[in-house]
Amino acid sequence: MTAAFDIILCLLILGTAGIALFVRDALAAIAFFIAFGNLLGLAWLGLDAVNVALAEIALGAGVTGVLLILARARLLALGDDATCADTSAWLRAGALAACAGFVLLLAAAVLSIPAESGLDRAVAPLMPGLGIENRVTGVLLAFRAYDTLLESFVLLGALVAVWSLAPAGVWPGRPADLGMADGPMRRVAGSFGRFLLPVALVMATYLVWAGSDVPGGAFQAGTVLAGGLMVSAIGGAIGLPRSDLPGLRVALVLGPLVFLLIGLAGTGFGGFLVYPQGLAKAAILAIEYSLALSIGATLALLVAGPNVIGPAGPAGGAGRNSGC
Amino acid sequence: MADWFTLAAVFLLLSVAVALGRCWRGPGPVERIMAAQLAGTGVIGVAVVLGAARRDAAMLDAALIGTLLAAVAVTAFARSAAKPGDRPEGRG
Repeated sequence: MTAAFDIILCLLILGTAGIALFVRDALAAIAFFIAFGNLLGLAWLGLDAVNVALAEIALGAGVTGVLLILARARLLALGDDATCADTSAWLRAGALAACAGFVLLLAAAVLSIPAESGLDRAVAPLMPGLGIENRVTGVLLAFRAYDTLLESFVLLGALVAVWSLAPAGVWPGRPADLGMADGPMRRVAGSFGRFLLPVALVMATYLVWAGSDVPGGAFQAGTVLAGGLMVSAIGGAIGLPRSDLPGLRVALVLGPLVFLLIGLAGTGFGGFLVYPQGLAKAAILAIEYSLALSIGATLALLVAGPNVIGPAGPAGGAGRNSGC
Repeated sequence: MADWFTLAAVFLLLSVAVALGRCWRGPGPVERIMAAQLAGTGVIGVAVVLGAARRDAAMLDAALIGTLLAAVAVTAFARSAAKPGDRPEGRG
């Protein structure tokens, strides 16, 4: 029975991936991309890689899906018909060859890993020193913390890149209003947003806390928080903030900054990013909670896009968003 | 007991396949997104059943995250599809 489950799941993943790639209609491609992300999450669950499954369902299917839906709406509003244009046969053949080569390379790399050589054996004896039990969190926040530190700066850099696309006259302004245009629909979405944002906050707090011992963590929590913020913004329950709001700037850099400061403090205990004995869990949780806040705010603003409304533009209730 | 859960997971996965068929058929954007949401609901069901079969509570967290973020996608779609005066009851 398990084999039947695996085979059906594999066929569905390949089928949804193929349709998402080859269908002409942009919305159909997005719908199948979201389904593909969810099914891929199931595949990771089936492999008992729950940490990866959480990230795939939250980022791959959740936030990326929302980003694509809003990008399509923006394209349609700009007069683009959002279908794929014909490309030359040479370009397609070249893309196919490049992708096939990359897939072969990846497959060869995966198949060359001996079955019993996981990181698990190396990490397991080191975990008691950290005081946490989730080995993935141990690797991400302690043994290879500099990777995660750089990743948190990459996310901030992505937001700076998006903001740099704003025209000169609208800085420091705010992004285009995400709210629904239609009054009654806006009220429905608004009350839903007011309901969902606290739920997302609780869920994000739980995911960071649980991430110490069971699957979870700052990136998944930040994504859930971003989801709550986006629904609230679409419903008009919160406005999008001005990009020079001090509270917003603090929320955006808090995670990377706390990470960097705790890392620098570690030089007093033996090296950069070395946690003091006995305080490792406290340091990891402090980093993860501030990272989750920053990731949530950054992802929500990445989805909102660059500024298009100048500082003197219509008020968006920015003050209420200062604590996000 | 775990066998029954696996059987249920296979059944749910087949229902996801049917929902994806409707997503393919369309014909309109609303049908496609609603079918994708239905497929997402099926996937969340599979995650819950898998979690029960393997006695792994963390899989329920995966299902919860999927539930929360599916709501965001459909809200974003409703925003992009809605025009002023476009009521659901006005369509049928």
